[in-house]
This record gives sequence, C-alpha cells and structure tokens, in this order.
Amino acid sequence: MSATIRNLEGNEACALGAIRAGCRFFAGYPITPSSEVAEVMARELPKVGGTFIQMEDEIASMGAVIGASMGGVKAMTATSGPGFSLKQENLGYACGAEIPCVIVNVMRGGPSTGMPTRPAQGDIMQARWGTHGDHAIIVLAPASVAEAYSETIRAVELSETLRVPVVVLLDEVIGHLTETVDLAAVPETPEVWRKFATGPREGFQPYAVTEDLIPPMPRPGDGYRAHCTGLTHAPGGFPTQVPEVATAAVTRTTDKLALHRARIESWRVQDAEDADLLIVAIGISARAARQAVRDLRAEGLKVGLVRPVTLWPFPEDALRETVARSGARAVLVPEMNQGQLVLEVERVLAGRAPALRLNRIDGQPITPDEIAAAAREALT
Amino acid sequence: MATTEIRFSGSGGQGLLLSARILAAALARQGRNVAQSNAYEPVSRGGLSRSDLVISEGEADFPLARRLDYLLILDAAGLGVSDHLLSPRSLVLADAELVPDPPRGDFATRALPFVETARSLGNPRVTNIVALGTLCALSGLCPPEVLLDRVLAMTPAKFDRLNRDAFAAGLAMAVPEPV
Amino acid sequence: MKDTTAPAAFDVNDWIRQEQMPHFLCPGCGHGIALRALAWALHEQGIDKDRLAVVSGIGCSGRLSAYIDANTFHTTHGRPLTFATGLKLARPDLHVVVITGDGDCLAIGGNHLIHAARRNLDITCLMLNNEIYGMTGGQVSPTTSGGRYTSTTPMGNTEPTFDACALAAAAGAGFVGREVTMQVLGLRDLIGQAIAHKGFSFVEVLSDCTEIYGRKNDLGASPEMMLAKKSEMRPFAYRNTVDVPFRPNHLRTGVIARSDRPEYGAAYRAMAAGLRGEGGGA
Repeated sequence: MSATIRNLEGNEACALGAIRAGCRFFAGYPITPSSEVAEVMARELPKVGGTFIQMEDEIASMGAVIGASMGGVKAMTATSGPGFSLKQENLGYACGAEIPCVIVNVMRGGPSTGMPTRPAQGDIMQARWGTHGDHAIIVLAPASVAEAYSETIRAVELSETLRVPVVVLLDEVIGHLTETVDLAAVPETPEVWRKFATGPREGFQPYAVTEDLIPPMPRPGDGYRAHCTGLTHAPGGFPTQVPEVATAAVTRTTDKLALHRARIESWRVQDAEDADLLIVAIGISARAARQAVRDLRAEGLKVGLVRPVTLWPFPEDALRETVARSGARAVLVPEMNQGQLVLEVERVLAGRAPALRLNRIDGQPITPDEIAAAAREALT
Repeated sequence: MATTEIRFSGSGGQGLLLSARILAAALARQGRNVAQSNAYEPVSRGGLSRSDLVISEGEADFPLARRLDYLLILDAAGLGVSDHLLSPRSLVLADAELVPDPPRGDFATRALPFVETARSLGNPRVTNIVALGTLCALSGLCPPEVLLDRVLAMTPAKFDRLNRDAFAAGLAMAVPEPV
Repeated sequence: MKDTTAPAAFDVNDWIRQEQMPHFLCPGCGHGIALRALAWALHEQGIDKDRLAVVSGIGCSGRLSAYIDANTFHTTHGRPLTFATGLKLARPDLHVVVITGDGDCLAIGGNHLIHAARRNLDITCLMLNNEIYGMTGGQVSPTTSGGRYTSTTPMGNTEPTFDACALAAAAGAGFVGREVTMQVLGLRDLIGQAIAHKGFSFVEVLSDCTEIYGRKNDLGASPEMMLAKKSEMRPFAYRNTVDVPFRPNHLRTGVIARSDRPEYGAAYRAMAAGLRGEGGGA
C-alpha cells in the first residue's frame, strides 16, 4: 500500500487538506460534530509552524481567523449549525472587507441544539444567506472523504485568490465517515496565495478597482499602512456614504464572483445524457442518489444525477443545460431538510421541469432505496 | 456496486469501534476501499455502540450499510437495531453468553463463546479481538497475518501477547458448526 | 520594544492621517485627547508605524483607528480583541494596540476582555470610558454612573457599574492602569508603560461625552466635566491612606496592577518549537 493511501475521517480530511493548502492558523470552539477538525489542527499545526487557538466562543474564533488573515496568514475555523450562526456577524465583516478565510460547517439536526450527533442538511440557505446585507460568498459541498480533502484545498485556494470567505459545507455523515483516501490523488501544485500589494506606497488604494476586480491585499509590515473597515468603503479604504461609491463598492464584490464563475463552479453528472428523471443532491444524499441511479439503470429506468460540488454560487447553467440536453421530464431533489436546495433548483429551472421533493428531518440519512422508490413513482 | 458489509454491534466500551478500525486498516492495506461509520450513545460506557464497514473496489456509491453480509453482536444492547439489514446473504455472529436471543430467520446465525474465551485468556476486554479472529476466518476478507499485524500495530504493545492469543483463539473458533 | 531611535520632538501630525481630517468627534469630546496621548506614547516608545497595527471596535472610540497613520483595522462591535488575538498570534512581529469603548469592551465584548486578560497575549488595550453609547445616540452603558439619564434610562440609571480595571486585573491582565484625559502627560506615560509591557495590558481612559451625556445630565461643558471627573480620582499611591469606596465616587488612577507572568504567544511558540525539535524550550 502506498503511504499516501489512508483511512481518513471526513473532518480529519478537512484539517489535513487545509494544512496542505498552506493554512497556518486555526481558531475554533468545541461543537459536535465538527470538533475533530479542531483536534487535528491542535495536533498538527504547531508541527508545521502554524498556530492553533481555542477561543472563548464561536464569535471570537471567527474574529481571530479574520485577524490572522489580515496579518497575511491563511486561516480557517470549523463549526456546526448554532456555532455557524454565531459566526455570521464576523463572516459578514470578512465578506465586506474581502478577507480570505475558510469556514468548515458540519451540519447536524436543527434548529437550535437539535440533534447534535445526527446528520442534517439544514444549513444550505444559512451558508448562502446567513450573514447580513448583500454579499458574495462561496460554498463547497463535498460528498466523500476524498472530496472533503480536495475541496478544502480548493476552498483555501479560492478564498485566497478571490479574497472571499469560503464555506466547506459537510453533513454529519461525511464529517464522521471514514473512507480509504489516496492523498496523492490531488496533484502536487505550487502553493496558491492571495495577491499581496506591491509597488508604490504613496497613493496606495487597498480597494482599487482592478481588471480582475480582486484588489491586491496590503500586508501589515510592508509599508502600506492601509485602513480596513466593515463600513462601506471607497477604493481608498475609508468609509463612504456617497451613493454611487457605495453602490460600486458592494457591486464589485458580487461582480467579482460573477466574473470568476468558471473557476468557482464545479459539479458532477452521472448518467444524465438520456435521463427522463434527474436527481439533484449534495453530500450524503448525493451518495445515496449515486447508488439509486445505478440500481434504477439496472432496472432499465433512465435516471441521472447532477451533483453540485460548488453549492454557491449554484452551477445554474450546468443544471439548465443538463436538463435541456437530456430532456428530463422532472427533477428530484432529496435533501435532509424540509426543502432548501429544491428552492434554488426551482428558481433555476423556472418551470422548465417540475422539481419534486424528497425530505427527511429525522436525523437519518436518506437511503438509496427511498430515492429509487421516489424516482420510480415519478416516472410512472 | 458490489459491496461487502459488516456491522460490529454491542455495548459501549467493548472495543467495537477499534476492532472495526483495525479491520478497515488491514483491508486498506490489501488495496480495498473501506467506508466506516459509527453510531453510539452519548455515554463512554454502556449503551448501544455500532460500527459499520462497507467494503468495495473503488469508492462505494453509498458508504452506509444497506444489506449486511456479517453482523457481529457482542451484547444484548446491539439487538433489534440491525434486523432490517439482514437478508439470506447475512451471517450473524452472536456472543453465546451476552446475547441469549440472537436474531434468527432466513439467514445463518451462530452463537459463539467470544466473551468466555476472552475471560479464559485472562481478560474479557479482548473479546473484540477474539471476534475479529473468527470474523477474519469465516469471511476470508483478508489474510489473518495482515489483520494480526494491524491488531498489534493499533493496540498498546503491553497487550501484544494477549492479543495474539485472543486472535488465534478467534481463528480457531471458526470451525464449521457441528450438524 | 523600541524599533528605531525616536526623533526628539513629538508632533502629533506625524501620526495622524491628514487626509482624514477634520475628525468627526464632537466639540469637547475627550477621545481626541486620548488619541493624542496614544500617539505621543507611541512616539516615545519609538514604535515603527509600519509595524504598528491598531484594531478598533464599534462606537465613537472605534472610529479613532482611521485617524492613525498605521496598519489600521476597524472591526465589529465588541470584537476587536478577538481580531487582535488572531493578528498578534499570526504576526508576533507587529505591535498590536486595541482601541475600544465602555460598551464595546465591557458589554458586548466583555467575554473577550476577560479571556484576553487571562491569556496574556502581548496586546495593548485602550478602553475609552465615556459612560455612554454615544454613536447610537446616548444609551446606558455598563459604566454609566448611578442616577444618570440616558435615552434608555429615562428615569435615571438604576444599574450598578463595572470597575473595568478590577475586572481586567482579576482576569489576569499583566498590566492594568487608569487615567483621566485631563492628565495628558500622565495618560501618555501610562499608555507608554502599557505598550512597553510584554503581555496583555489594559488602560482605562476616563473620557467625557459632553455633547450627549453631559447635556442630558446637565454636567456642564467639557472643562467642568473633566474637572468633576478629576476630582473623583486619586492616585493609586494614596490607596491605603484613605477609605476608597466602590464606584462611582472615587476611582484609583495610575498603575493598578502589574505582573510578569508568561506572555501567551511566546509560550505557544516555545511549545511548538520544542515539538519540531528546534529546542528553545520555555
């Protein structure tokens, strides 16, 4: 067996992926079912010259992560539903001030304390819209331990290069699942960093509008002595309430993601070409769907799967085109909540095909058999 | 995708998660893909504890147990929760002492003296290793020496001798059931 | 820690972002004096502006960071100490100064204050106490004196107040002091000592909010408010010679607590270096 092949837990894979991508700061707070991310970071970061700190609460850990990143160090935190809610205030700051950072959110049953050890997918909308105001954010949704590793690497890279917070959204099953993973399957590539400010100090504008809409980030100590604020700011970095300047400031952060969408979006399709029914699912529900598609195809039923790996921004063109090409009569959306992903699917399809729901909120994963049964019913 | 599915079930503190992890490590060394998922109650000792292995070539489509090939029950706490996963392809291995009424149906069930054997070796805590030996021999999933190597690598060295004896006793227990 | 040899004369304009002037503080507000004292202390300590990070929260105090010619971070309400903790751990080469207010630091950020003090990371925290939420229009704060009128205590404040210095000292801050804005030189020296201290240092600056708090409570103009505040103060040296009742009547000034317990960042790095076999020890 190669030394790079290991049985890894999903949470552990997130931590190791982040370290491999160059993350050297982690601040966290204990919460089930994500604590293993912090535990692995506490053990591994000091070995590679990084820093781990357990802060006094979830809010503080998000603040510390942003502070570390403002200092020019790649930083990450991990949490679950209620803790994710507490982080939303500072996450809004990171969105507004464009501070790179990665937040792992391992979804458990909710609302509130809910079912801490049981899986759910109830934070699909919180991950996108949890913080206040108009903002850009990226959310990645791994469906395996191998992807927890590779997508966390991608999260660090996207966060750095685009100066945007990235959420790695796992459900408890993937977070606590152990799978055999070949770490070498992710090719060795040069470490990716944010663009740091270079050039003249005089007249430097920390939020200058560049062609790629990604302003180079000043690193303390490099002589720029810039100002960073959560107040709506002009390109110079200082607060503004001039209507057109304020509009431009917020619009640039959302335009930025639109401009780089091709780099951000990621999805997988399975047996979609001729599908009469397409399933759209993420996380453990997508794994169940994968099995269901295989079982249904064996029965001769034409069923396919579209799996968003980048959940937000939602790969809407991919879904629209896959539905159009296949001529699917309907789309089935199995998810462990009362229907969140389906709302986005409905928005994207805008009536081109009906979106059928399959939901579970009992802390149990949706099984391949349940999806197969729903698919058979949809096709009759 | 063809899978082989194993469930270790019993009571918290019986070392079920560890023995599943050991088997998973041995299988990974054999080039198999293993998905392991656990469930336990929020107590360190006692209460239902279970660990599932789904073994496949390449990544499993669905990584959770659907139809068990092997169900190990080491304590009555593990009764009842797995019955819906049993089919004619299943083999149930239950401890003869702690599981007085194991599931029976259109599948094979064997009651074996795991706990008693471990006790006779001097420590009931190696019950999980005895069972691992039996499971290894009955399933043929991986060569016994590969599994024993992982047992010794993943448990404290001071228990090496005891674990070797327990594993050997488990292997020896896997003789065909007398008719 | 001195980075460079400080020039002999202090000119506050060397530390101020001229393009951000005029500032937004109300006439008579004590925060400007605190800002000047901070700049002066930074000058005297020979701090390199490029390696100075000023982190502030929300409120009138929070806006001060924008005026300082350094690496400045205006963060979220109550959280500047958390940002500063991450920044200082990630960049131990920076001098990190936090500017916060009584509401920012003691109410919404109270938990962060006590844990920053407990950890003893090398951060200098300046809490500008004007006894009021000025930015939001004059609501009661954890340090509003008894009986005082605010927009949310229309019948007069009936809540007891915090003694911020006692709180910080009890939580383990390595350096704790208090001064009133009227004593500019004393404030400058106190902040200087706080910056020089290796560990978490906390300075409560007794500022005044003339425009809202003063007017609402008929406390007079800024000079009257400052004199009244000053008359309530007594240097720490007299602590044991007179009876010192709890707030609001008489507060101690000067250095209130000081200890040389280990600085957290250095302790963590020593542990990590040992783990990597780089020696160094504790």
